[in-house]
Amino acid sequence: MESTLKRGELDALAQAYSLNPAATEAMLDLAGVRPTRAAGLEFISRCLRYGGVLSLAAALVFFVAANWSKFAVFGRFALLEIVLVALVVLALFKPPPRFVGRGALFLAFITTGALLALFGQTYQTGADVYELFLTWALLGLPLAIVGQWGVTSAAWVLVLNTALLLFCGWNPHGGVLWVVFDGNRFTASDAILAAGVLNLLLWFGFEKLSLRAVPDWVRRLILSCAFVFLTWAGVLGVIEDHDFGGEHIVLAIIVPTLAILAVGAYALRQRGDIYPLAVVMSSFVVVVMCWIPQASGSDETTFFMMALWLIGASTVGGRVLTLLMRQWRAERAA
Amino acid sequence: MSGLTELVDAMRTRGLIAADAPPAPEAADERPWFLALLLGLAGWFAGIFVLVFLGLAFNPQSTGALLAIGFTLSGAAFGMYFADRNAVFLDQLALAFSIAGQIALAWAILKDVDTALPVAATLFALQCAVFVVMPNKVARTIAAFFACIAWAYVVRFALRPGQGEDLFFDSHGDVNLPVFGAWTIPVEWLLTWLPMIVALLWLMRTESRWMASGARVFARPAITGLLLGLALAGIASEPVATLAFGIEAMGMRFSWYALFPLLSIALAMFAAYCAFSLRSYGLLGLSVFAALTHLARFYYLYGTTLLWKSAIMFAVGVVLLAAGVALQKRTAGVAA
Repeated sequence: MESTLKRGELDALAQAYSLNPAATEAMLDLAGVRPTRAAGLEFISRCLRYGGVLSLAAALVFFVAANWSKFAVFGRFALLEIVLVALVVLALFKPPPRFVGRGALFLAFITTGALLALFGQTYQTGADVYELFLTWALLGLPLAIVGQWGVTSAAWVLVLNTALLLFCGWNPHGGVLWVVFDGNRFTASDAILAAGVLNLLLWFGFEKLSLRAVPDWVRRLILSCAFVFLTWAGVLGVIEDHDFGGEHIVLAIIVPTLAILAVGAYALRQRGDIYPLAVVMSSFVVVVMCWIPQASGSDETTFFMMALWLIGASTVGGRVLTLLMRQWRAERAA
Repeated sequence: MSGLTELVDAMRTRGLIAADAPPAPEAADERPWFLALLLGLAGWFAGIFVLVFLGLAFNPQSTGALLAIGFTLSGAAFGMYFADRNAVFLDQLALAFSIAGQIALAWAILKDVDTALPVAATLFALQCAVFVVMPNKVARTIAAFFACIAWAYVVRFALRPGQGEDLFFDSHGDVNLPVFGAWTIPVEWLLTWLPMIVALLWLMRTESRWMASGARVFARPAITGLLLGLALAGIASEPVATLAFGIEAMGMRFSWYALFPLLSIALAMFAAYCAFSLRSYGLLGLSVFAALTHLARFYYLYGTTLLWKSAIMFAVGVVLLAAGVALQKRTAGVAA
């Protein structure tokens, strides 16, 4: 069993029992908090292999971005398509969870994006528009599912959220989808809320399913993305930005509030991880901080109030979360 | 070993502590990395708001007024940290006052200085002083991290006086190379990072010697600060570099200096290994994030074309994969 003891706890123990260096050394060995030589080598080997795959992915992206003029357009497409097919074939012969299969499918996912970027570059449809990232997320979804690897899942989450971010903020009311949705009934704040809710539903879904392809850290990433959008919407709501929110500005306050309550209740019921509570706490702190200038009338006391709020809320929140973490840990140990 | 109580029982059995030794002390107030980050950020912003409020309310113009504000806030922070050693209720207020006090002091000292080296050196000295004086782990960790960033600037501006604060490249796209001629940049890299690497390795190696002593209140925050510095200080110095390089720095002619951001990735991965050795998965994650950010830095900046960069990354990828697979086979052989 891997040790869950933290260095701070061991420091306190060594101090409490006034251990000499030899006894401290023995305590560290007993606690199992120092990796063995084999574990250290395994970690380095894993870093090298992951680093190798990421470097090859970067090489591919850099190559497409270089837009090499000595290579004809047909040749560039053919090259990427051959690479894509070769990677998929490789993954078929050495399927995940073997490293070769996982690495090949991750590279295939990146190649899909590179292919779409090449299309955008060649036909001047743009290499950084939300349509590209959305298509990439949709086409790459099977690869992310089959890949059974947290790294590919995280890459997929980042691509999807880049598409959502571009859709909501970079070019609101622009592009193909906005032609469909634009109008009084669908505003930019609705899009931001929808992006947040989509991420939140993904998080709840993966929490229930507990898939190997979506480990804890990827679920945390999804939840963080959800609350980036929900906090953004909440801030627009409290500062009453009607340019972004139109008549739906009240929704921008209600939906994030419901999301905070839902995630908070779920985390308190699960009694496992305090990360969701930390995320909702920070979202709440930021939204209220942005509301203070609206409420106080923007004089010099505003900054004093904001500082006071940050100090008070973070102190109480930090204390409560630390106590909860210790309590839940003790319950698990018992 | 998963709990403190089990560890203490095992220590009794092994005779490391007396059989009738008291039970394990209550667990220290350890926070997970994301909570520490959150509280640190909240303290930072609160400090800035406190200073803005004082600036608007009292409009301090003179050096004396700024020094008075700086010393008062820093002194108050010290007092709160000292009084609150075994609790955490005043920590956030003290952190905010400490940050505001440091900014006010730096502003007072540096407001009439217009060259970069004294600014960097003063900020480095200020962070070292905060590290020594403030009796709090978070304050010391933040000070150690900012001292690393300031150190990177001190070396840079010391070895490239007059140029570091202007341009890294001259108008022809060649690298400016004062003090040590063509060796300036490699020397600068070694002088910046080698002391941090040596200090970190030494502290980790001598961990059992200082864990039970009073030195741990300095050593533990120093380890965390150095780890963060090695992983992130290169990025932290990036805004100035970007402003100085400007858009013309993209796609410079090829030189072997283009490889330097890759060394930053290596530094971040070294920090990741140290974090793994300390079983700190938060710091491990931050180091990996830093490595990916350095990769993005390599894409946007420094002197070569994207085609060359692609070739470099391909070669690096093949070498890393080959080394990783070879090491995996060897590890499997050792385990068998």
